[in-house]
Amino acid sequence: MASIEIEKLEKSYGHVSVLHGIDLDIRDGEFVVLVGPSGCGKSTLLRMIAGLEDVSRGEIRIAGNRVNDLHPKDRDIAMVFQSYALYPHMNVAGNMSYSLRLRKATKEKIGAAVAGAAAKLGLEPLLERRPKALSGGQRQRVAMGRAIVRQPKAFLFDEPLSNLDARLREQMRAEIKKMHADLKATSIYVTHDQIEAMTLADRIVAMHGGVVQQVGSPLELYDRPANLFVAGFIGSPGMNFLDVTYRGGALRLKDGSRVADSPPVAVQEGSDLTLGIRPEHLTITTDSGGISAEVELVEPTGFGIIVHLTLHGMPVKVFTLDRQALATGGEIKVSFPVQHIHLFNNEGSRIG
Amino acid sequence: MMIAAGTTKGLPVRKPWLTRLADASEPYLYSAPSLILIVAVMLVPLVIGISYAFRDIQLLNPFSGGFIGIEHFRALSQDAAFYGALKNTLWWTGASVLLQFFFGLILALLLDKPFWGRGLVQALVFLPWAVPSFLAGLNWAWLFNPVIGPIPHWLFGLGVMSQPGNILSDPQYAMWGPIVANVWWGIPFFAITLLAALQAIPRDLYEAASIDGANWFQRFCSITLPFLAPTIAITVLLRTVWISNFADLIVVMTGGGPADRTQIVASYIFTQAFKALDFGYASAIALVLLVLLLAYSMFIILLRQTLLNKD
Ligand SMILES: Nc1ncnc2c1ncn2[C@@H]1O[C@H](COP(=O)(O)OP(=O)(O)OP(=O)(O)O)[C@@H](O)[C@H]1O
Ligand SMILES: [Mg+2]
Repeated sequence: MASIEIEKLEKSYGHVSVLHGIDLDIRDGEFVVLVGPSGCGKSTLLRMIAGLEDVSRGEIRIAGNRVNDLHPKDRDIAMVFQSYALYPHMNVAGNMSYSLRLRKATKEKIGAAVAGAAAKLGLEPLLERRPKALSGGQRQRVAMGRAIVRQPKAFLFDEPLSNLDARLREQMRAEIKKMHADLKATSIYVTHDQIEAMTLADRIVAMHGGVVQQVGSPLELYDRPANLFVAGFIGSPGMNFLDVTYRGGALRLKDGSRVADSPPVAVQEGSDLTLGIRPEHLTITTDSGGISAEVELVEPTGFGIIVHLTLHGMPVKVFTLDRQALATGGEIKVSFPVQHIHLFNNEGSRIG
Repeated sequence: MMIAAGTTKGLPVRKPWLTRLADASEPYLYSAPSLILIVAVMLVPLVIGISYAFRDIQLLNPFSGGFIGIEHFRALSQDAAFYGALKNTLWWTGASVLLQFFFGLILALLLDKPFWGRGLVQALVFLPWAVPSFLAGLNWAWLFNPVIGPIPHWLFGLGVMSQPGNILSDPQYAMWGPIVANVWWGIPFFAITLLAALQAIPRDLYEAASIDGANWFQRFCSITLPFLAPTIAITVLLRTVWISNFADLIVVMTGGGPADRTQIVASYIFTQAFKALDFGYASAIALVLLVLLLAYSMFIILLRQTLLNKD
């Protein structure tokens, strides 16, 4: 177990710059999830921590020691690949014990470690099988088993569940969470599945274009997104954004119609802002304070209902648990509860 | 099927025998043209060639041609030159295949790593393969010739040779000449096939292994070798059969000399057929070589089967 510190980390391939100065401190035993859209550099960052990619600039420290120039095998970390990368010529037990065999551990120790991991992951009946004789979910377990047998300083996961079907993913997610509670190992987990990020993380690192956008607990990112990117990325269905102007203590649309009272923020009269509000925080009302909108589409998800609206020419989504929304059509009124409004300035940073 | 088609109310109705004959021979008639072609092209020469081994066929003797049974084989069993050639064949094949494989593997491993100008180097490396064997033999014969070639002088300079002589005329070391030429000529074959196999190995396996703590050699043993094993087995088998039959370089470079020291079975067949013009005897030797190579191939295939079944 160890802490990991990343300081001003940069990565470029030739002239292409992929990571631009990443700073991140990961505490001992913490479970950190890296999220971000495809191509934002999550895997690159993870692989740099593992030692599979060279560091262009900056520093990585594991347990306080600079590891920039250390070979992967000397960093004492374990990694679970998206493709699992199981050794096809070894059986399950061979795959799991490989690292221990390389370290010349005693037979008894290897046997005990493999048996322990196999028991934890329900792999006992499969120990003699080759990877090609396993299902996707079983391979995934073997990959996890291979990582946990040798009790490394840290675990790195690169989208380990993305090849599994939804049901299995849910189950494995819970198992990973249990395993982490059990082992308390420092873990860095890459995913672009929001639910995985929200449920697993002690802290989420939201990345975009090679830059860390926000670091915080899942609810911090959800409740107080630092900028437009995080606000739009976290949450499903995504947050609604409206271009508004601050005038006379209220937020108004371009055509002058009043949307809501402004939360208490210090902004100049007449400044242009972006209002963000989550679909589940918009309310369908009948009172006169609401602002009218056209119903475009109603999507039942089973759990709730997503209503797509056009509000003064702008698309807006409402998520509600009220089944009566299914019957809505034509003109309705929505209101913007002021305590749920997020405001972003021209640069896209949060101001309230 | 035809009978069933010809039943009415469950009673078999017998067709005229001519129709039945036509029905039965139909598939054979359809495939006959290609079968006849294959037999004519492949089997006839083989049978004629084999029949030579049992006949007295000498090109310059108009009275030869008669059937003599196993006379050639009796002569062969007492032919010291043949046993010498057999020993030389083992030596020539073993050393050539081993060295070609070894250097080919090293080359493939080097070419598998990305470096600047790799495309050009790959193209150059595969060049020897495109050189006709006859030309390669002449070229190497000249390189080994102290009058025009540099190699004897280099070896002398390095102190390997006591004087810059021609290795090809040294009874002790003459075999090394054709072997070196053959290795040079055959490396690309192994390099190409092994490189193709290497590039099919998923990269993340190496990454997983290096995270698991494997150094270069351990990764090579636990990932590269198992992946290459099937390719190695098949290429070594092919090359062994092929090289033991491959007399071009020897015929061009040494002609089997000095004093038959570089005579392999294949070049001995060539010598018997085209120098001594004794086709019958040459065919008998060829038959023996064929049987030996068949036995070797069977052995390798059986070995492979047992290894595969063990898994
Ligand atoms: N070897 C390379 N040469 C040049 N550019 C590369 C190389 N490897 C990755 N990149 C670029 O680096 C960026 C980040 O890639 P990375 O694999 O880290 O993305 P990611 O966040 O993991 O995406 P995904 O979620 O799709 O896996 C991408 O724009 C990619 O094109
Ligand atoms: Mg990735």
